Amino acid sequence: MGFFVFLPLVLPLTSLPIARLAEHHLHPRNAVRLLSWIGVTMAVCSTLALGLLFVVGTAQIPGNPLPDSWSDPEIRTAVPFHEAVGTAAVAGLVTVLTACARSLRRHLRIRARAQRALAPVPPGSELVVLPDPEPYAYAVPGGPGRVVVSTAMMDSLDADEQRALLAHERSHLANRHHRHLLAAQLASCVNPFLRPLQKAVGYATERWADEEAAGSVGDRRLTARAVARAALVTRGSGPAPSFAAFAAPGPVPRRVTALLSPALGEAWPPPASPAGLAAMVAAAGTAVSAVSALNAAVALLLLVKAATPW
Amino acid sequence: MELAGVDPGRGEGDEHGRPRRRGQGELATEVLSVLHRAPGPVTASWVQEQLGGELAYTTVMTILSRLLAKQAVVRSRAGRAYVWSAAADAAGLTARRMRRLLDTEPDRDAVLASFVTALTPEDEQLLRSLLNAAESSPEGGSRDDGR
Repeated sequence: MGFFVFLPLVLPLTSLPIARLAEHHLHPRNAVRLLSWIGVTMAVCSTLALGLLFVVGTAQIPGNPLPDSWSDPEIRTAVPFHEAVGTAAVAGLVTVLTACARSLRRHLRIRARAQRALAPVPPGSELVVLPDPEPYAYAVPGGPGRVVVSTAMMDSLDADEQRALLAHERSHLANRHHRHLLAAQLASCVNPFLRPLQKAVGYATERWADEEAAGSVGDRRLTARAVARAALVTRGSGPAPSFAAFAAPGPVPRRVTALLSPALGEAWPPPASPAGLAAMVAAAGTAVSAVSALNAAVALLLLVKAATPW
Repeated sequence: MELAGVDPGRGEGDEHGRPRRRGQGELATEVLSVLHRAPGPVTASWVQEQLGGELAYTTVMTILSRLLAKQAVVRSRAGRAYVWSAAADAAGLTARRMRRLLDTEPDRDAVLASFVTALTPEDEQLLRSLLNAAESSPEGGSRDDGR
């Protein structure tokens, strides 16, 4: 299998162009689904590849509990990697697992804290308006999902814009966007090359909710105005944009621009278009990554079986 | 704090030195003030203790249930027991807790989807011009609600 074992580790590099193209050419709903699936698949494959390198590279190091036969000469000739690679893979695996565990724990902690904060609010009301001079609006996932909006945010929008805001937050809850966000976040913990995918999924979920809000209030321009006005009152106090804002416009102006332009079709783009091509390249990259990871796993399994005396 | 529907005049005891029997309204007021002083949502037995323990647990529960029916208090489940707090406090308490959460968890965005993120100065300028353009050309968009 040779260098194919390394493919799943470096193929996630393709996620940057994939994320770019998906943002510009796909309906945000399709973009979220495509990107989170690609992210998860590539992350699993990348972990599998690390695991294989670790097993083959270190099985004969003294003190390693794995059976020595797992790294017999015949396996080594088939998988010509030495101890250095295996040891690096161990470090990689440990880092990956720690990062994932930490990320997951933080996710659960924030959810639990938000649920606890909302506990005194009587059940049954999805919208919770909190007296707070700071403008914010959040969708809090959980048993009953809640939309939390501060009075300052409500006051800065007119009645129609409030409807757009609430429709946006309800769309986050109804479409379970937090699951996609978590999946993408864990994937980018597994392989840092997947970080562009995480950012793209974050942006695309906002766009998806924007589009649903525009559909539900029946006015794209009104929704664009609600987003812009909310961002302008939030200014310094909101969460920092998750995008590195070099010279490029940040996520909010891009969302407003997208809402002021005609809606993208929900259909998948035809294969001949740049977007269709990008989707196919993405699918192919993921498939190659999956196949080489599986191929490596099967090959190793067969070799180990042949080399193991029982 | 407004004690809507809580009638303090009903069931007054006598005024002759003896520890008089307090009426329902008075008890309700005391329970409410205990809840206001509480550091957060509390259990009924905590309320009972704060009242000096002279009332039966069931009495405290009865008063709390009546206050709940009048929406003067709210209750939520904490483990197997209910915890209670004054209704006027619930929103403020929730707001304070929410703010603490937002202030101490910088990485909350992957869990709680925020409506908007912060703007750079360039973004702000761009956004203002987009907003102006959107407001000055009402025919340009797909406005179909007649506003």
